[in-house]
Amino acid sequence: MTWLIWRQHRAEVCVLGLFVGMFAVVLLVLGTQAHDLFPGGPAGCAGDAGVNEACAASFRRLDEEYGYVENLLAGFYLVPVVIGAFLGAPLLARELEDGTWQLAWTQAVPRMRWLATKLAALAGVTVALTGMFTAVLTWFRQPFDAWEGRFQYDAFDLEGLVPVAYALFAFGVATAAGAILRRSLPAFGVAFGAFLAARMAVALLARPAYATPLTTTEPVGVGGTTDQAGRRAVPGFADWVIERGYVDASGRRLSGTEYHELEGAANRAGENLNQFLHARGIQRFGVYHPADRFWTFQLIEAAVFVAVAAILIGVVVWRIRRRLI
Amino acid sequence: MTATEFALRTDAVGKRYRKGWALRDCTLALPAGGVIALVGPNGAGKTTLLRLVVGLLAPSTGTVEVLGHDVTASTPQTLSRVGFLAQDHPLYKRFTVAEMLRFGRACNLRFDQGLAERRLAKLGIPLDRRAGTLSGGQQAQVALALALAKRPDLLVLDEPVASLDPLARHEFLQVLMGAVADGEVTVLFSSHVVHELERVCDHLVVLNNGRVTLTGDIDTLLVEHRRLVGPRTPTDLDRSGAVVEAVHSDRHTSLLVRDGGLPPAPGWQAQPVALEELVLAYLRRPSEPSTTVPSGVPA
Repeated sequence: MTWLIWRQHRAEVCVLGLFVGMFAVVLLVLGTQAHDLFPGGPAGCAGDAGVNEACAASFRRLDEEYGYVENLLAGFYLVPVVIGAFLGAPLLARELEDGTWQLAWTQAVPRMRWLATKLAALAGVTVALTGMFTAVLTWFRQPFDAWEGRFQYDAFDLEGLVPVAYALFAFGVATAAGAILRRSLPAFGVAFGAFLAARMAVALLARPAYATPLTTTEPVGVGGTTDQAGRRAVPGFADWVIERGYVDASGRRLSGTEYHELEGAANRAGENLNQFLHARGIQRFGVYHPADRFWTFQLIEAAVFVAVAAILIGVVVWRIRRRLI
Repeated sequence: MTATEFALRTDAVGKRYRKGWALRDCTLALPAGGVIALVGPNGAGKTTLLRLVVGLLAPSTGTVEVLGHDVTASTPQTLSRVGFLAQDHPLYKRFTVAEMLRFGRACNLRFDQGLAERRLAKLGIPLDRRAGTLSGGQQAQVALALALAKRPDLLVLDEPVASLDPLARHEFLQVLMGAVADGEVTVLFSSHVVHELERVCDHLVVLNNGRVTLTGDIDTLLVEHRRLVGPRTPTDLDRSGAVVEAVHSDRHTSLLVRDGGLPPAPGWQAQPVALEELVLAYLRRPSEPSTTVPSGVPA
């Protein structure tokens, strides 16, 4: 069976392996240079962009010299779906479209063992390739994370555990779609569509609700800047801010229109806006998830996608056990 | 007869797809040894029945027993005793012929690599060619060599020659019949072509609209059936219980009867029937016995 699986899927595995390998080499080279900008390591500068002169200089150079890589990498959120769907779509669909399922399942290997071996091998390759891709990317992003935190979409979605879970989800969708549609290419398309829809829905709607966000309220700073030297702002650079705004003295949130009216009033009175707001007891508020929730959120999101993948694989196993194919 | 002396036994087997029943009430007991032909028009349910026999499908009703074992258990032991050649003889198109043989070796308990190589060498099929680049006839031969290398006790073939040109068809049947003569294999194959069956087969199953309309040993069936020709008469003669088909012309009536060779009535002439004629008569019969078959004819 091992030989058969390798022989049948070596083209996909080689292409994906080559792609991930090249990607890793490029990132390792660029990443080493980017890390060298921080003599004490990027973590030492975390949150010090506006505080420590040396760190500020390092971040500036990072942005100037490697900012384009970070922007490019944001597009790599599709890599997990490519890996998962590329390996999952042909698993059953190719056998079904070529009629070779009739050949494969009438040899002496019972179909459930055939299926279990194939699923385990190809899911394993999916995890290995996505894991390698994510490990390199997570390492590369360390300086950027020290600057911007890990809750931004271009960090959270590309680092840690979730990319592997996304890839397994794509693998599950592609395998199930292949079993039902009996064609590789449409199965790949379905996996791609499902991946985009699920990822967007989860990132925008579900992820902020994994835990109750914290709310902080503070008086409007009179000095005109929000960050006073020596004091960390809350929410901080690495926290995930869901909502920001102003409340009046009674604690009621101000709408955009109300804020603009206050702005206009301050202008007419010829007063500094911040002083104007301060004098009226108006406070700033922030609703946010603190940065240390990163791994909790990663675990929750990974569990969601892996669970859906497991359900889809379960459907495939059920169909084949019941000989519905 | 013990259970294992039957190559295949089915009991009230039915298979329903979403669109409806493909096979209903199929009860068969086919002896081991010899060649069994499964005949019926396109869409009669032949492929469904054969897929049930090799365990690719599970029956919606009833049970299928192959070589004394329930096929749905699909243990490696049962699977290795049955060889299957699907319609259009699928192969992994990008595998070389040698890799196809390696596939057979990797996925079977017993696999006679030497036998397969000898067969292919005799046919001049190179082992290093990709399966997809071979001609249709050669692909069929590779698929057959694979199935035979399992040394199966039952070999099931779905329309094995339907897609082949006459020369390839002849060559294929020659190899197949040679294999039957060599070993103790029982062959079950489907066909929608009726002629040539007599030469090749021992047993016949006629399938029409998802139901078995005739089954039996071919020699026995030919002895039991006759064509009677006489003056024009309504169908309901004294033999009405045995009339398979009645054809009326202006002055004559021709009846195909299954009466086991009773002496014909005065004024009637008896003629033997050919197998093709017999099969066609059964295929022409209306399909729903409960509603449309003439009264008194055993369904």
